[in-house]
Amino acid sequence: MTDTPKPYVSNIDRRTTLAWLGATGAAATTSAFARKARAATPSGKGYGTDPVLTKPAPAPWPRTLTKAQLQTAALICDFILPASATAPSASAVGIPDFIDEWVSAPYPEQVADRPVILSGLAWVEDEAARRYGVDLTHASAANRTDLLNSLTTWPQIPAMRAPFTFFRRFRTLTIGAYYTTRPGFKDIGYIGNVARVSDPGPSPEVKAHLDRELKKLGL
Amino acid sequence: MANDQYDVVIVGSGAGGGMSAYALTKAGLKVLMLEAGRNYDPLTETPMFNTPDQAPLRGTGTPDKPFGFYDATVDGGWEVPNEPYTVAEGSEPFIWWRPRMLGGRTNHWGRISLRFGPYDFKPKSRDGLGHDWPITYDDLAPWYDKVERLIGVTGRAQGLENTPDSPEGCLLPPPPPRAFEYFVTHGFEAMGIPVAAMHGAVLTQPLNGRAACVFATPCGRGCSIRANFQSTTVLLPPAMDTGNLTIRANALVYQVDLDKAGKAKGVSFVDRVTGEHHSVTARAVVLAAGSGETARILLNSKSALFPDGLGNTHGMVGRYLMDTVGANVVGQFPALEGLPPTNDDGMGMEHIYVPWWNYQRQNRKEMSFPRGYHIEMGGGRGMPSVGMGRMLDGASLSTGDALRDQARRIYGSFISFDGRGEMIPNDDCYCELDPSVKDKWGIPVLRFHWKWSEHETRQAAHMVETFMAVIDKLGGKTVLGAEKDGRKAISKGGEMIHEVGTVRMGASAEDSVVNEFGQSWAVKNLFVTDGAVMVSSPDKNPTLSILALSWRSSDHLAQLARKGDL
Repeated sequence: MTDTPKPYVSNIDRRTTLAWLGATGAAATTSAFARKARAATPSGKGYGTDPVLTKPAPAPWPRTLTKAQLQTAALICDFILPASATAPSASAVGIPDFIDEWVSAPYPEQVADRPVILSGLAWVEDEAARRYGVDLTHASAANRTDLLNSLTTWPQIPAMRAPFTFFRRFRTLTIGAYYTTRPGFKDIGYIGNVARVSDPGPSPEVKAHLDRELKKLGL
Repeated sequence: MANDQYDVVIVGSGAGGGMSAYALTKAGLKVLMLEAGRNYDPLTETPMFNTPDQAPLRGTGTPDKPFGFYDATVDGGWEVPNEPYTVAEGSEPFIWWRPRMLGGRTNHWGRISLRFGPYDFKPKSRDGLGHDWPITYDDLAPWYDKVERLIGVTGRAQGLENTPDSPEGCLLPPPPPRAFEYFVTHGFEAMGIPVAAMHGAVLTQPLNGRAACVFATPCGRGCSIRANFQSTTVLLPPAMDTGNLTIRANALVYQVDLDKAGKAKGVSFVDRVTGEHHSVTARAVVLAAGSGETARILLNSKSALFPDGLGNTHGMVGRYLMDTVGANVVGQFPALEGLPPTNDDGMGMEHIYVPWWNYQRQNRKEMSFPRGYHIEMGGGRGMPSVGMGRMLDGASLSTGDALRDQARRIYGSFISFDGRGEMIPNDDCYCELDPSVKDKWGIPVLRFHWKWSEHETRQAAHMVETFMAVIDKLGGKTVLGAEKDGRKAISKGGEMIHEVGTVRMGASAEDSVVNEFGQSWAVKNLFVTDGAVMVSSPDKNPTLSILALSWRSSDHLAQLARKGDL
């Protein structure tokens, strides 16, 4: 049981959670891509054309994922970006909640992602049950990794293409959401967003790197 | 407000209207400014240092906020609720960006501030196409000088053809090129293409009581410390300080009112919040509502004297609508991988650009298209956005430490190349009143007609070819936009948000709507000071020229007012 990960604790406060639960009722529990029609279009409204920009309010639309789906999302997030020696895991910075916010949004790009993500989460759990007879949380770490690893390369088997497409999109969203946090900035090496008295331009070290590369290119 | 006596009512508060308000109030005239959008205060509303994770969906663009959550534009966009527009059947696509806020587009604009050159005012004399302006570069040059000294523009004299240098003392020092800009400069120069310092409306030094840039935060969000140019931070505060300016927001003007003698006596507007209709009077009217909206007001100002719209006796209102030609290619460069961390924030836009370099070849008829473009480049190690995950897509998807390494390696290794080119006005691009569609308040809306000509589509193809060549020269790989068919590579009409030319100036009432001072041929106390007056649409972004033209026209208006000649 040492393999069993800690449950994902949502960052969203209880009052908000209750509001979403009240608004969403039963969430999607569909279990295969063929049944993705269950991922109905979200009913919430957007933030409008004139939201407060300096202190943004939380996204106003109701959320979609059940507690179980958030756990599944957390496991996949942390398969993509587990904690490193110097940076936190994706779930530790709340990426599953971001995925929930994203698939619940009423805008076209997010509405298009919604069935892909919801069906994919369901597929992963169906597949864990089929292969190991337990849900993803209770599968061994090795089994979890095996299952998710099967989604990391473009599959020759046509039946695996929808799960691959899901994973690719889920990973893209996870990466985007992770590196737009302060720990993400630090990990990727973004050092801006600080007031400065002047703009000195690139350092001699950076210029030396570029000069070396330009020389290799004959420029 | 109704009881006040105004010398001038100005419709619109962006570059054109803001500059008119500045010039006219400084000249001692009492001015009422009507803005269709809401009041807006950049000092308190700008999300300067906010990070994506504080915003819904990490700040990604949505139909509510097309350029991202933190974009300065509020209450506007490609669609404005209750205020539709239409595109004629059979037309190519046209989209229309309308902010609904004090200061208009100057709050979020790109702040690239390039002077038009001498050729740009006399294009027909040079190659037989399009139309000449009634003024020359020399007529406008002193006004460019004044604008640059007032608002603060970076740049450096470089002696390039049709790319005017400013006199000593006009420009602020440009910031040093970013790492990727230093890199890409070598690629262009190896192809014989000169690279120039950007002319950006950002203070690299304090100016006129405004603080210098803090070399952080994206300019498109606006600037709460007033270090970049916005009408709301640079033009309207000093105009207010004269005590001569009154601003009314949410006032959607739809008509210029005439007196019995056929002179303008004021305007009528609907309050967008209450729905009530109002009329105000003034000795003169200035329209600066943006090229589309200015034309719409004139077309909707119908009377016995002007049954087809004010000043439209010769069918010129709405004609010769132009936008900028755009095409985009993105390259990825192994040479930029693994660059040590470097801070690429700073003056928000590019620190360098490539002015058009083929004037002589075009002069010799060696090219398949007659007019030029300049190149803007985006890249570097800016604040990560949620879209960055796409850079790591592929047939094999890394995870864990391998993914972190890959992300660190490729971060900052992409460069986006954007061509911005001149469009030649043509008979297929215009706007008119839609015969049946009206806005929420019953006012007829605009119907757009659009068709790029081969002059533009061939230019777009050349942009793509050039970008792919420089990417290749720098050992990179084209990852987006490798579309060599110019008809497919070209931007949509209106997409560059540089629509100009619906109320053009000219030498006679037969082939233009206003004279060289934006003064209506038909109604002498009616002026137009926005981009609608432009006769051509050079590759240089229009805002600096709108400011210079507006100042020149407003100064003329003030002189006439002093002489009692309105």
